[in-house]
Amino acid sequence: MNYTLHYGQVIGYLPDLLIGAAISLEIAFLAFSGGMVIGLVGALARTHGGRFLSAMAKAYVIFFTNTPQLAQIYFIFFGLPDLGILLSPFQAVLLGMTLNAGAYLTEIQRAGLASVRRSELEAAQTLGMSRLQQVRYVILPHIIRMLFPPLSNQYIMVTLGTSMASVFGVEELTGRALNVNSTTFRSIEIFSLTAAIYVGMTLLASLSLTVAGHHLFRARMKTT
Amino acid sequence: MLDRILSELPRFFGPYNLIFLGEALLSTLALSAAGCLVGCLVGFPIALLRRTRGWATLPLRAIATGFVELFRRVPFLVTLLTIFFVSQAVGLSLSTFSVGLVSVCLIASAFISEIVRGGLASVHANQTDAARVLNLSSRQTLVHVVLPQAWKVIIPPIFGFFVLFIKDTALASQVGVLELTYASKVLNSRGFSAVLVFGTILLLYFALSYPLSRLGALLEIRLAVRRSQRD
Repeated sequence: MNYTLHYGQVIGYLPDLLIGAAISLEIAFLAFSGGMVIGLVGALARTHGGRFLSAMAKAYVIFFTNTPQLAQIYFIFFGLPDLGILLSPFQAVLLGMTLNAGAYLTEIQRAGLASVRRSELEAAQTLGMSRLQQVRYVILPHIIRMLFPPLSNQYIMVTLGTSMASVFGVEELTGRALNVNSTTFRSIEIFSLTAAIYVGMTLLASLSLTVAGHHLFRARMKTT
Repeated sequence: MLDRILSELPRFFGPYNLIFLGEALLSTLALSAAGCLVGCLVGFPIALLRRTRGWATLPLRAIATGFVELFRRVPFLVTLLTIFFVSQAVGLSLSTFSVGLVSVCLIASAFISEIVRGGLASVHANQTDAARVLNLSSRQTLVHVVLPQAWKVIIPPIFGFFVLFIKDTALASQVGVLELTYASKVLNSRGFSAVLVFGTILLLYFALSYPLSRLGALLEIRLAVRRSQRD
């Protein structure tokens, strides 16, 4: 155990790592946004889609939530070229993460849609609200308030999941940390720095999401 | 494409590959089981520790909170790489499997302690106040008042976590632990078609994880019904 810490040798790489962190955030944002769209379509298919569409959406959710994201991206990156679809590492990672997030977000949004009670809609009708007014003043506020906390948690999970991109050679935070590690061999320093950046990133996200949820939607937040 | 896969099938499911996949599957199972077991054993005391009040346990509480927050906010891959490289740097010669084992135990402890803490907190404060009025000790309060109500809230998300966790062990392949994902990379490099290899691996993971998630969903419904009946 005679190891001396030399943070001086890695601190110069901090800007490099921070650019990596920005790329991580970019992947997380794109995957989460794409996942939200898939999730909305999936949730609508599950609740209003009829038997066939509902079964399709359910199969998609079950398959993607029960297999590892890493193995899914392996399949996309190495398997799809055999079928004639060639993707760059960034595209493969993004596609895999979007599909994976979409499965979880389908489940979350389905629960949100199911949580609007019939009595609420009846009350809105009694007040003489049009269909559009019901959506605007009753359904959407209710759903957003219900869904904001689980969606925030999912966003954090997606952010942490972006570290997988390094496996496929995308130079995001973890990828850059590995590069710096192989140039400097200052493993403890570089990885503790990387971990600290991840902690900072997710803390900042949780904090701002909690504040936003509390003020904008009066959501009762219990984010990670 | 399809004829290539079909022509590879007999060779792919030859005895040698089956033993190889079986060993990899066992390794994935061992990692998951160890993580779940140690996670429950360590996570529970951590949650209890974080519930204590007063100055005496403040340093311990701070350490526990720091531990939990750290491992829940750092990606699993980074935890694995850190433990892998740190153990090398300080001269511990851990096998890659031990590195995986240590990492999964740390992660599982952090996540499970948070689930347990949430479950314990779900028991209303009136209950513990009432128990104190009845002159129950804190141990008695926990065993006879809090836990009988909290376990129904704790069990379903723990199963949910186990399902997440089996899938997370796939990342251990990145430090060279020979588990399912690593095995698939090896088989792919031996020339088997990627669709066949990674498709098989996905199905194997699915077979591991799906029964557990069904069980979790079932428990959630069962326990939720009983709880609403009581109210």
